[in-house]
Amino acid sequence: MPEKIEEIRQQIKALNAEYAKIKTLPVEERKAFGQKINHQRQALEQQLLAAEAEAEDAAVEPIDITAPGAANKALPKIKRGSKHPLMTELSRLLDIYSRMGFDIIEARQLDDEFHMFESLNFPEGHPARDGYDTFRTEEGFIPPAHTSTMQYRALTRFKSNLDKGGQIAVVIPGRVFRNEDVDATHEHTFYQCEGVFVSKDANMGQMLGVLKQVFEVYYGQELNIKTQPGYFPFTEPSVEMLIEKPKALGGKGDGWLEMLGMGMIHPNVLKTAGIDPTEYRGFAWGGGIDRLAMLKHQLTDVRYFESGKLEFLEKF
Amino acid sequence: MRISLNEIKKLVPAATKVETSELIKLIGARLVEVEGSFDWGEKYKNIFVVKVLSAEAIPETHLHLCQIDAGSEPVQVVCGAPNVHEGMLAAWIKPGAIVPATYDTAEPFEIGARKLRGYDSNGMLAAADELDLGDDHAGIIEINPEMVTDDGRQVAPGMTLAEAFGLDDIILDIENKSLTHRPDCFGLIGFAREVAGILGEKFEEPTIFEMLKRVENGDTDSGVLAETGTLDIQITDQTLCPRYSAAVFEFNDVPKSSKYFTKTAVFLAKAGMRAISPIVDLTNVLMLETGQPLHAFDYDKFKIVGGGEARIIVRTARKGEELTLLDGKVVKLNENDILITSNDRPVALAGAMGGANTEIDDTTKKIILESATFSLYNLRKTQMAHGIFSEAITRFTKGQPASLTLPVLTEAAKRLSLTPVEVADCRPTAKAMAPINLTTAQVNNILGTQYSIDEMTRTLENVGFTVKTDGDNLSVSVPAWRTDVHIPEDVVEEIGRLLGYDNIPLQLPMRPFTGAKQDNLLTLKNNLRDILSDRLNMNEVLTYSFVSSKLQEIVGEDPKDSYAIVNSISPELQRFRQTIAPSLLDKMHDNLKTGFSDFALYEINQITRHSLGLNTENVPEMKTHLAVAMVGDFYDAKNIFNNMMMELGLARPEYHTAEDTPAYYEKSHSAIAKAGDATLGVVGEVKGRVLRALKIEVPVAIFEIDLEELLKAPVRAVVSLKLSKFPTVSRDLTVQVKAEQEFSAIQETIENGLIELIATVEPVSIYQKESETKNLSFHLSFSHPEKTLNSEEISDIMVKIERELTEKFDARVI
Repeated sequence: MPEKIEEIRQQIKALNAEYAKIKTLPVEERKAFGQKINHQRQALEQQLLAAEAEAEDAAVEPIDITAPGAANKALPKIKRGSKHPLMTELSRLLDIYSRMGFDIIEARQLDDEFHMFESLNFPEGHPARDGYDTFRTEEGFIPPAHTSTMQYRALTRFKSNLDKGGQIAVVIPGRVFRNEDVDATHEHTFYQCEGVFVSKDANMGQMLGVLKQVFEVYYGQELNIKTQPGYFPFTEPSVEMLIEKPKALGGKGDGWLEMLGMGMIHPNVLKTAGIDPTEYRGFAWGGGIDRLAMLKHQLTDVRYFESGKLEFLEKF
Repeated sequence: MRISLNEIKKLVPAATKVETSELIKLIGARLVEVEGSFDWGEKYKNIFVVKVLSAEAIPETHLHLCQIDAGSEPVQVVCGAPNVHEGMLAAWIKPGAIVPATYDTAEPFEIGARKLRGYDSNGMLAAADELDLGDDHAGIIEINPEMVTDDGRQVAPGMTLAEAFGLDDIILDIENKSLTHRPDCFGLIGFAREVAGILGEKFEEPTIFEMLKRVENGDTDSGVLAETGTLDIQITDQTLCPRYSAAVFEFNDVPKSSKYFTKTAVFLAKAGMRAISPIVDLTNVLMLETGQPLHAFDYDKFKIVGGGEARIIVRTARKGEELTLLDGKVVKLNENDILITSNDRPVALAGAMGGANTEIDDTTKKIILESATFSLYNLRKTQMAHGIFSEAITRFTKGQPASLTLPVLTEAAKRLSLTPVEVADCRPTAKAMAPINLTTAQVNNILGTQYSIDEMTRTLENVGFTVKTDGDNLSVSVPAWRTDVHIPEDVVEEIGRLLGYDNIPLQLPMRPFTGAKQDNLLTLKNNLRDILSDRLNMNEVLTYSFVSSKLQEIVGEDPKDSYAIVNSISPELQRFRQTIAPSLLDKMHDNLKTGFSDFALYEINQITRHSLGLNTENVPEMKTHLAVAMVGDFYDAKNIFNNMMMELGLARPEYHTAEDTPAYYEKSHSAIAKAGDATLGVVGEVKGRVLRALKIEVPVAIFEIDLEELLKAPVRAVVSLKLSKFPTVSRDLTVQVKAEQEFSAIQETIENGLIELIATVEPVSIYQKESETKNLSFHLSFSHPEKTLNSEEISDIMVKIERELTEKFDARVI
């Protein structure tokens, strides 16, 4: 390489010597001669620059791009924090609802029989109450088994919207509790997000339309949905909504994911909250957050979420 | 619950014309969640009806060498069953087939051809348990050569077992929970009625339900059993037992189990039940068909228990009463349990299980057959109290209709081909339910559809509703078995569901153009997570809201101040937490143990305790807290705290001597953080003995704050910021002060000395070599807003500060 550079430099030098010849030429040839020399010199200078750049590049020591740091230097230590995956998923979802115009209120973690069951049209002592495997405190308070425990509050708190000719549109995230044996797919503590919508013309078509939207935004693609009949004392009719397995989760248009329980709010629930069911109708829905996070990260053990293990948390 | 599609198809001919997968899909979409479907055709593949041509005992063994006719060439099989004999029809599992009992297990067992005691044995002759069609392992099953298949063919060697017994079936696994309100669907007939409705076909009611309808319509000639004889039934409280019907049957011969394997056994096996005896099997078959459980008492035993009289008294149990159940278990009864008694002596735990004292056996010649309904509320408690989850109680707790008892009893008599010697029926005066009135607009408004009144009417009538129409009005009479339909919305559900929710056109509601309000607490929580995780490098955790009293005691919290969970899963999860920090300390230990050494955990969650009282709704007052726990000392926590406040754009907190802190803080290494009027919480180190008790061997600092308080903290304002236009002077200043001297007072004094200037005072070091004194070093930079300071002026400023420090704090400038 250096030889090549030296050679070009010699050529330039030789060319420079040519300039002296100009004076010896007839006047009319001098211009053409000068131009020719200039031309050759410029070309050589270009070559020189290229050769020098090439030589410089070749002189750079290659590094091991697979190594975490340079040799003979302290390896860089990057400490980063992490957000809990459940909270991250919940924020995303709340953000979508918020942009759609939903108010957000958070569910409380200790409640009473009235909010958990009575206001939701569960007859006293009805076996349907068993389905919720509730914990109880000595005083008879209940760590809620579903975020529906907030429906009465959402309805009464935003009832004034209806009086002003508007609608009730609220979502309610919260931590819920069920007395069940813990294993890879069951936790006694998990997160849900509830939704309540009331207006003069709410119907099931709107209910399915709105929730389809939510999941389409959440997964960033158009999705097919389907339903299966469900039973909740506080909605009538009640269904469960399934979405087509999204591409982001490896879906190929074949599988279905059960996402939400939902239905038209039972007239008794509206009545209890002081809303006239002959004038207003509503729909309500709820679903788990843990499941969204598990699907997204392909987690196989729900117990990781509340394990508090950094081995787990640091991955997010 | 398991449902056989073949049985459904027998009741709904139209279902045979629909592809199985489509049928399952429709059931899932319009009736109930189908959790799974099992292809019994696959399960029973390569199992054949065979004739045993010869069975020779193999000497000195219990085995027989058999030649069997499986439809073609004779096959040799070694069989260990004592009942194998020449000429019998048996079931043969061909080599290469899977033993059905192991079919859906982790280790399916494939039958092969092998040598047994030196004899070639090809496949096996199977017992009922191996076929997963019973529990019997005493011998191989024997098939009645007279038996005909459902399509009228006589069984013969070479026919598959599936053809012979209708095993070519799909068994659906149904999620019971989604039928909680549908007692009618806990019977095959009710389930089939829905399938017909889903397919848009009118359901042809079997005789039992035809009878029921006639009774409901008040037909005198309904065909149900009429009361006869003197059997006395007394119900102490009709709410416990709305109806009790009973019939006494006397047999000429004691009904004995057939030696042949029966279709009934297969029918029961498809539902996950087992054949027991002809009488018990009959009660179970009728229950599976109709949803109405039956129970048979041995009449003579019943009379003996009652002291010679057959009087049925239904009452609640008395305190201290006990009953030995059919399964041998002795249950201690409580006052909620409903008892069937023979003249006041308990003979059955109503709805749950019969008593051993009246069990029918091989000598029973006379039975009382009970067909009754009980309070589902009481039975639900009985179920929980005694842990009985039988097929019967599962149905009773759904609320079977009282109208069904006698028709089912009538059908039982028919199947026994006997006229009961006594029939008694204790029932309330039936009150007819008023029809439900609604309009087509109501239906279409709720569903968001445009169904015609004809579609609505047809859909309802297909499944047994009676509909009268008048213009756009529907008047819907509810069949007696639909105990779940009461209000117009229930009728809307029927129409929407049977016509398919998936056929409802999707819409989006019109929304007023108002923005959703921001929730301050929610915004704060989001901001905190961004700051703590992304900027301050902490790890967010979620820990349980329930803690152990042991942990509370370790950290010095009063467990009694916690709401206690009475049905907790374990002692570890017994109390609602009062603060979050102890949960984090627990997790610090776990993570230190796995090798993490330098980290900070945080959690944002709710807490409560008795001492916070109840709120206006009379529920416990709850607070949302942020708790942080980190490896480090007070100053590490304080710096994090300051940074957090800075990032939140809130005023720099002031730290006050901690007077009243939670017990786990080391008081002299802790401070109360305040900002403006807001008392945020305590920042400090965890007490050494708490750390030791939690086996934490490094210093840990924590802080926990009430987020509602944090919302009250004043916003940090940069007041009249001026940037220097003139040269900045830098000076270092080190002063020696008494060891106990508060740092902040010195810094403040220096800052005051520069108050007229544009200045920063940066602490550089705190050096303490001796116990009486310490050296505090600062780096000062300052400039004058309007001029360049000359050396004399600079000197004056410094001297003034130094003098102040010396006079006020007896400090020595070094």
